[in-house]
Amino acid sequence: MRKRNGKHGGMVKLEENISQERWDQQVKRKKKIRNTRQFIRIMLGTFVAACFAILFLMPIILTITNSFMSASEISANYGQVFATTDTGGKVYVSDRVNLKFIPDMVSFSQYITVLLKSPEYLLKFWNSVILVVPIVGFQLLVAAGASYGFTRYRGRIKEMIFFLYIILMLMPYQVTLVPNYLVSDWLNLLDTNWAIWLPGIFSPFAVYLLTKYMRRIPTAMIEAAQIDGAGEWQIFRRICMPLCKGAMCSIAILIFIDYWNMVEQPLILLSDQEKHPLSVFLSKINAGEIGLAFAVATIYMVPPILVFLYGEDYLVEGITYQGGIKG
Amino acid sequence: MGKIKKGLAAAAGLMMLVAALSGCGKDRKQDGTAENGREFVYVPEYADLAVSCDYINSVTAAGDYIYFVGDSYSGENDEYRGVLYRYNLLENQAQEIMELDEKSNKNLSSMAVTQDGNLVAVFSKYEDVTDESGEIVDSKSTLELCRISVSDGSVSDAQDITEKLGNSEWAYVQYMCADSQDNIYLCDGDGGIYVFGKDMQKLCDIKVDGWVNSMVASKEGDVYVQFYGNGSGAEFRKVDLAGKKLGESITVAGGNGFGGNFFTGVSKSILVSSNDQVSLLDISDGSVEDLFKWLDVDVNGDYVNAAGELSDGRIWAIIRDYSAEEASFELIYLNRKNASEVKEKEEIVYGAMWLGSDIREMIIDFNKSNDQYRITVKQYASDDYETGLTQFNADLTTGNCPDIIDLSSIDFHQYASKGVLEDLYPYMEKSGIQKEEYLENILKAFEQDGKLYGIMPQFYISTTAAKASLVGEKSGWTLTEMLDFVEENDPENVFDYSTRTSIFYYCIYNNIDEFVDWETGKCSFEGEEFIRTLEFAAKFPEEYDYSQEREEGTSAKLRSNKLLLLQTAVSSVQEYQMLNGVFGEEVSYVGYPNNERKGNLIQPANGSIGIAAKSKQKDGAWEFVKTMISEEFQDELVSEHGNYGFPVKKSSLEKQFELDMKANYYEDENGVQVESAKTSWGYDDFSMDIYAATQEEVDGVKALIASCEKISGNVDNQLVNIITEESEAFFKGQKSAADTAGVIQNRIQIYVNENR
Amino acid sequence: MHFFTGRKKVKKSGSNRRTRRGKWIARGYLFPSAAGVLLFFVLPFLIVVYYSVVDNPISGQFVFFDNFVMVFQNAAFQQAAKNTLTFSLTAVPLAVVLSLLLAMTLESKIPFKSQFRTFFLSPMMVPIASVVLIWQVLFHYNGMINEILTFFGGEKIDWLNSSYAQVVIVVLFLWKNLGYNMILFMSALSSIPRDIVEVAVLESATPFQIFWHIKLRYMSSTILFVTIMSLINSFKVFREIYLLKGDYPYDTMYMLQHFMNNTFNRLDYQKMSAAAIMMAIVMVIIIGILFLTESYFGKDVEE
Repeated sequence: MRKRNGKHGGMVKLEENISQERWDQQVKRKKKIRNTRQFIRIMLGTFVAACFAILFLMPIILTITNSFMSASEISANYGQVFATTDTGGKVYVSDRVNLKFIPDMVSFSQYITVLLKSPEYLLKFWNSVILVVPIVGFQLLVAAGASYGFTRYRGRIKEMIFFLYIILMLMPYQVTLVPNYLVSDWLNLLDTNWAIWLPGIFSPFAVYLLTKYMRRIPTAMIEAAQIDGAGEWQIFRRICMPLCKGAMCSIAILIFIDYWNMVEQPLILLSDQEKHPLSVFLSKINAGEIGLAFAVATIYMVPPILVFLYGEDYLVEGITYQGGIKG
Repeated sequence: MGKIKKGLAAAAGLMMLVAALSGCGKDRKQDGTAENGREFVYVPEYADLAVSCDYINSVTAAGDYIYFVGDSYSGENDEYRGVLYRYNLLENQAQEIMELDEKSNKNLSSMAVTQDGNLVAVFSKYEDVTDESGEIVDSKSTLELCRISVSDGSVSDAQDITEKLGNSEWAYVQYMCADSQDNIYLCDGDGGIYVFGKDMQKLCDIKVDGWVNSMVASKEGDVYVQFYGNGSGAEFRKVDLAGKKLGESITVAGGNGFGGNFFTGVSKSILVSSNDQVSLLDISDGSVEDLFKWLDVDVNGDYVNAAGELSDGRIWAIIRDYSAEEASFELIYLNRKNASEVKEKEEIVYGAMWLGSDIREMIIDFNKSNDQYRITVKQYASDDYETGLTQFNADLTTGNCPDIIDLSSIDFHQYASKGVLEDLYPYMEKSGIQKEEYLENILKAFEQDGKLYGIMPQFYISTTAAKASLVGEKSGWTLTEMLDFVEENDPENVFDYSTRTSIFYYCIYNNIDEFVDWETGKCSFEGEEFIRTLEFAAKFPEEYDYSQEREEGTSAKLRSNKLLLLQTAVSSVQEYQMLNGVFGEEVSYVGYPNNERKGNLIQPANGSIGIAAKSKQKDGAWEFVKTMISEEFQDELVSEHGNYGFPVKKSSLEKQFELDMKANYYEDENGVQVESAKTSWGYDDFSMDIYAATQEEVDGVKALIASCEKISGNVDNQLVNIITEESEAFFKGQKSAADTAGVIQNRIQIYVNENR
Repeated sequence: MHFFTGRKKVKKSGSNRRTRRGKWIARGYLFPSAAGVLLFFVLPFLIVVYYSVVDNPISGQFVFFDNFVMVFQNAAFQQAAKNTLTFSLTAVPLAVVLSLLLAMTLESKIPFKSQFRTFFLSPMMVPIASVVLIWQVLFHYNGMINEILTFFGGEKIDWLNSSYAQVVIVVLFLWKNLGYNMILFMSALSSIPRDIVEVAVLESATPFQIFWHIKLRYMSSTILFVTIMSLINSFKVFREIYLLKGDYPYDTMYMLQHFMNNTFNRLDYQKMSAAAIMMAIVMVIIIGILFLTESYFGKDVEE
């Protein structure tokens, strides 16, 4: 099946009489000619990639380094951008903005404020964990079932439902937030974490992604199992799940990051501010506290970074797998 | 290796999940008890104090007894009499311990109860220091610590401790406690804690870095202090006598920021009474149990003088009614009962962003007197306005909206046009209340398309005053006229204490129709008027520096034309009389700039409310709303000084005017009746005695009231935000006024388009 | 609508009864999700439909399509629709093309590949609120970019309050999303059978031909996937704009979500719902077209 000819170019046509040796020689010669050119290309590629990498890394590094600046240094550097109105006395404000990567003096004062003096930050951080972790876990669980349902025995109606899932997934949250509030009210979920959990758990996002992956599993594989007498549960448990493990991990990362940053849902569905996650607080931090904002943001970044570092291989593997089967 | 890693991850994930779920369980339980399924309710029971006195001081509780000083004043011999009482709360009996000698200028400042049931007390004594000629040159206070025997009132072990308290010149004791070892803790207003042993010898002093909110002995017999540390926020710490320092900060559920008064607990460590509610704090684990909200037991939390637990489980509280002119004290017992035992009244929900104190008072009165309905309050914006508003809106659409809606902090027009509010005219008709009996222009302020969507019982007028000789006899002006006037006169100061923000409020926010044509959707922020306003505002400081020395007072500056305009409120005839005095000549009330020259703005006083169109308890809601405009309530608003605003009922307003025009007389030594001053008013550097108002003055006020059409406030925050944010660059000199105006125009145009 | 029908027909194997039973079980697997989606997504959407045909949610008077007409004629809505469309039409293709280019750069054997990959993914980890802080420092009128501009003798540009605003958010969007897209493409590229490419090289096909005729066709489903993901993420950029400039930004940054958010805040649910439904219809059309294109191009590489 690999040697199938594309209809657009004749370049894959092989002369039947080319011997294996000539084939190898030709390949080698072409490779040699290309060696120097390739070196330049690699250099160029590395350079481009490095430039991009610096651009991409800058905000994350800035956030971390700025969190080690004292409040006065922050306000001196960014006073022109964030008008500080809350400070009583005169503050030194540099007349130009300094984007500094290295603090003049490493100060832990912001962290001391965040971690020791005001327990509410840690409390809110914990709220974030409480809200996000169950969503990630159960959304995956529900999605695993659903995508199996979508993958097996595809039919017209199922395809239409799947299309509906995609449309619902694309809806901006503003659209469904109010009705969601209504539904939560009917179900008496308002002001409880369930109001956040349930819509999160049943979000079509993971279903869409996972179905995409699962449908790549060769039908032949499943059919073989079926012939061997495997039931649906065995197929699901022994074939689909292991094959989708990487994909599930990568989806988990995406869901985690998405919900870790949620702002609007808790604002509307949880009136009790004590239940709000840290992301809500972060988004409301005002200009006078940007020093704090950097420290809180850095702390808030720790779980995503851990999840990432741990799961990055899965992320890549999961996606690679998708192609791996295809060839 | 990989297996271990995965296993670890799985275990961690599982743990988080379990923790998250268990966390959720706890949350729900709290919800259940706090919100709907209240098992217990507290029922108030009023008792008369078994002592007759005008004023109660230094209430100190120990178990079922309280100790306090009752002061009474007898007008006949112009004498104060102070008595120290021991009061048995279970039997509601008072026992006189000793009479305090008022003549010696000695006050009982604080006291505490020792283990044997006797008292330790601090007396403060003020003495005038005289020089040789007998002139009083100074005064000094001394503090005396002593024991008082409860049985016979004898004083022993008295010693002068003035010197032993750090700041000896103005030594003062704010809080006093005794621990289980009978050590005595004194705390002054300055953050110093001084500990005296059982032998009355000073043991140590401890400095608190911050402002002390409260010091209290716990049930366990330790002493704790709550203070607002410099930079660290609210903290709650034990006074560690052994270490002669404060202990570690104790974390209390719900944050350490909870305020209020602290009292020694009986069932748990400490009882906390905030102006909102009563809670019990358990020191051992930092948990807090909320008992009840003051509002739910018909008590104004601001009025609570002291509270505590009794051994039979009841809560007692001493309430001082501040609304009455003379102090009156009440003793209340709160009995805990099963919710099912208490007769259910129909619930009416009063929804407000913030609950005003006047409205709170009215709700408590209503609940006390009404057998059928009971008003409960839902405050939306107690933490944050934006969040509160979102919640409120969501409640409106889901239909579980409040029955009565407080209009004070929301955009009345927006809600009225959305059909959120009920037309009140039919209700007035049904109750036989004639709308003609009320000031039409004031009623109309809450009218839309001939329907009345809100009611205010009382109002005052926001306006700008200027010399009539300068501005002419007029009752309104446009923004251009105002700016021209300022330019022409070019005074040293246009306004007193003005900032850029206040200028924007003055010129733009209360005059937004001048810049936005809602019919066509055109905005004119790029026009000359707005640019002139920007330049005008730039002359004012961003923040007013109140610390700067003022050479002359407002009145002097106004008189000498160094100050041109005075933004002020007129809430009574007396205030009007005073303003005329401040200027020293005829005054024009030109109001805020307005394109129709209608810039005298109506400002609701005492709250403003409406009924929700979707309410299921409209009749009950009307019961309450009605009281605000009832003859009885309106007449109550009439007062000697009338300084809170004008009543909306015409007859009551007339009564107010009559009262204002009535002269007070006294008889001089020749037996001649001479008009006496009713009161005196002051404004900055100016003060004057107020006599009966003349017909002319009353007519002036009437004309001023009649000139009002628009209600003040309710500026959309969005506009304020946009203008504040974008004008910054102009004020900093980074952008031209025209560029700034362009950006503002651009952003506001979207706002206007969207709203059409 | 042939994209609805599955191309992979399950071969009839085993008894019919068994297949039928299997079908029911498969539906059972679908059930929890379907029930949840029905309750938390479809039902709310139906409520939105209801809102769109009443005058306001409090009185609930039926007004047919008045809201749609009103919203459609609303100048702010038109502006928002135009901006959203321009943004999506610029940002999404840019995101696809740039991430593909990045993926190909990384695919050519450069050193530190996995490090670069991590770096490119890092923007996903930064909390939105601090992204916004940094962006403000960069693009504020007194921000870094203008500092640099004036250093080189340029004029200051008011990035956030001018027609450049769209550029800023496109950059922001690309910065956030290129990394993930790139990974998707990298894996797709690596899964293209090597021998086909090598044969093509032997056949003296130009790199462009190889790219166009082989790689792109093999990746067509990934391209669709990346496009859909980018589309989703392009709607999410609202949160950043909102935190940057609040409810009413400069008009070139004013998106449909602003319109919905603001009408929501003002209790104009009928307007919000009408706008949402119009948006949904457009979305159905766009996704439909994408699916059709994919099934047309991708057909011959798959079995």
